[in-house]
Amino acid sequence: MELKSIKDAFDRVANKQKLSYTKTQEIIQMLSQELDKALILLQEQFDHRPILASLKKTLQENSPIVNQLEVTEKELNMALTKYPKVLEKQLSSDISKAYRHNVEFDTHVVNQIIANFFYRQGMFDVGDCFLVETGDESECSTRESFFEMHRIVEAMEKRRELGPALNWATSNSEKLKQARSDLEMKLHSLRFLEIARDQTSQEAINYARKHMAGFADSSLYEIQKLICSLLWSRNLEHSPYSDLLAPSRWNDAVRELTRQYCNLLGESSESALSTTVSAGTQALPVLLKYMNVMVAASKKLDWQSVEQLPVAVELSEEFQFRSVFVCPVSKEQASDENPPMMMSCGHVLCKQTINKMSKNGARSSFKCPYCPTDVDISRCRQLHF
Amino acid sequence: MEIDPVTNGNTDAVMTEPTPAISPSRPLVPSSRLSQLTESIKLEHQLLRVPFEHYKKTIRANHRSLEREVSSVVSSVGDLADNDWSKDVAVSRLTSLVSRLQGLKRKLEEGSNVENLQAQRCRARIDHLDSADVENITEWNNTKLKRILVDYMLRMSYFETASKLSESSNILDLVDIDIFREAKKVIDALKRREVASALAWCADNKTRLKKSKSKLEFQLRLQEFIELVRADSYKQAILYARKHLTPWGATHMNELQHVLATLAFKSTTECAKYKALFELQQWDVLVHQFKQEFCKLYGMTMEPLLNIYLQAGLTALKTPYSFEEGCTKEDPLSQESFRKLALPLPYSKQEHSKLVCYISKELMDTENPPQVLPNGYVYSTKALKEMADRNKGEIKCPRTGFVCNHTDLIKAYIS
Repeated sequence: MELKSIKDAFDRVANKQKLSYTKTQEIIQMLSQELDKALILLQEQFDHRPILASLKKTLQENSPIVNQLEVTEKELNMALTKYPKVLEKQLSSDISKAYRHNVEFDTHVVNQIIANFFYRQGMFDVGDCFLVETGDESECSTRESFFEMHRIVEAMEKRRELGPALNWATSNSEKLKQARSDLEMKLHSLRFLEIARDQTSQEAINYARKHMAGFADSSLYEIQKLICSLLWSRNLEHSPYSDLLAPSRWNDAVRELTRQYCNLLGESSESALSTTVSAGTQALPVLLKYMNVMVAASKKLDWQSVEQLPVAVELSEEFQFRSVFVCPVSKEQASDENPPMMMSCGHVLCKQTINKMSKNGARSSFKCPYCPTDVDISRCRQLHF
Repeated sequence: MEIDPVTNGNTDAVMTEPTPAISPSRPLVPSSRLSQLTESIKLEHQLLRVPFEHYKKTIRANHRSLEREVSSVVSSVGDLADNDWSKDVAVSRLTSLVSRLQGLKRKLEEGSNVENLQAQRCRARIDHLDSADVENITEWNNTKLKRILVDYMLRMSYFETASKLSESSNILDLVDIDIFREAKKVIDALKRREVASALAWCADNKTRLKKSKSKLEFQLRLQEFIELVRADSYKQAILYARKHLTPWGATHMNELQHVLATLAFKSTTECAKYKALFELQQWDVLVHQFKQEFCKLYGMTMEPLLNIYLQAGLTALKTPYSFEEGCTKEDPLSQESFRKLALPLPYSKQEHSKLVCYISKELMDTENPPQVLPNGYVYSTKALKEMADRNKGEIKCPRTGFVCNHTDLIKAYIS
């Protein structure tokens, strides 16, 4: 992003402000000096009238400095007027142009989302304060659960303690298996390495027998690696297995734990608020551009009541949570009324398109728009993504 | 930036291998990331504009008061010379002028310190925008979300949380707590049904309000007039109207007449047109109008930034199927609260199909094409192969329980 013109415009303002300050300072200085001078003269001379008259004259004739100040002020004012114009040119001056004003969010719901966000980020005092201030006290059901999660994560990150994490993982073992998560194994291998480092290899092997044998199905290779690493147990960093010591293994485990913990709570692993705001950040520029074009073409559009956005907003892939099928012929999005249908050749169109191609079933076959196949309508079938 | 967020995110009894961090189907496209970043920075007008308006206001106010003082010193000297005072008087007057100049010097110094602090804040924000790049974007976006939340809290007058969050996240330079405190004073007074501080605010920003043809002051005056009528102080009301309402006659005659007619109808009137003027809700309307003028003056959006971003984000994420069950928990729209907000919004428009495997939550594309079961349900090749490998070639549809053989699958072509 080129911020240079903004920076330049601001530098101009700041410079002129400094200059104006110096000039004002000079004027005040000059006034003080003249007054001081006059006071000294008054002490020395008997008649004060000529002194005062000449002082008045000097002060009123001090035009050069006053003129300079005026010039500076003018330049400062120009700089002050210009900067907002530069901002408006370089940035989108009003992002609420893309806002539908007839849709009011329920403040209560928004506040719940915000409180939940603070708790999942581990900002418990901010969250508590927020609920007190909004008057929605004692209504965030997830606080306790997130508190527990942060206790577990903190133990791992700050003290390298695995106890709380292992406890949690063991008691949720079944659910983790269902979610195909290898979190338990990840934690056990970290523990195994600790034992191998601090205690004897025999104890490490005992630990592996007791806790890791059950994971042979899914993590055989990992187990082999861990057991082999015992050969270098006192010198692991210079062994082929030095990667077992990488701190990233701890970070991985923490990330997986957070993800599984949140999922079991019915929450996303990334904060849903942050995901939505990020999606908004990607969508807004497109919406604003569209609005500007519409305004420029002075077209009125029923922005407030549309059922579907009039312009395509392509979000990055990390926001792709659900399947969207767009009929390649009609460009319409599939829905329950207009489901995707696969033809005998494997190409997929929407039902309405197929109806049109077959003239509403008047013809029993038609040519696929993408290959030479003659499509038999009775053999088209609905797909479920 | 992390690029592995969509996988592994379901609690259903379905399974997936942990995805490699970068799968070949998801290439990093730095140029598109870069242009996204540029576009998102363009949304930050308010961040730069608000502190600048504050800075400008301070500069102008300081300048005005200094100018006044200087010319008053000069004219005092003129007076002294023109009048025939004794020498002693002249000396004492001059001495007092000297100490006044000293005070002025201090005032200039203090004013300039405030200005410099505000300039620093403006600069800090430009630097903050400048610091965003593709590498630190995750962290930068986190800060952005917090800024947006603080903006929301300030507009809702949750000052304590706003301060707490800004302090703990170290973003005090990037939020406008002090500016909103100024507004809060006025709003609180209006809620107590006092117009004085709102009128003072109008006087403070007279030129700007005049330029934008604001009639906030007129409305405040009308309300004061109504309150006099409500208290049966008709004479006072008339005097008040002569003094404060007549200047608006040229531009707002209809409203003026409408309100003055309350003198005849009194506050107990049942005539709907005039009864409405005596409703206490009128004060809430004034609060709302003040907020609007305030936001406009500082170059803020009328709505909280949070609402704008949430609305755009929810619309972009919403699809015709958003409210169906069985989706990954990673989708904000799988959560009840987000669904409530999204309900009245339109869904997004897509130009190309984007298919996400129900089992693995991975994108189905040429690398991992969709395959169709005989019952019409579609899953990704990878997920189905994995299932077949585990179950001796048997495929069981996780949504319907339908069982078939791996050889029964047909590839679908999605263009």
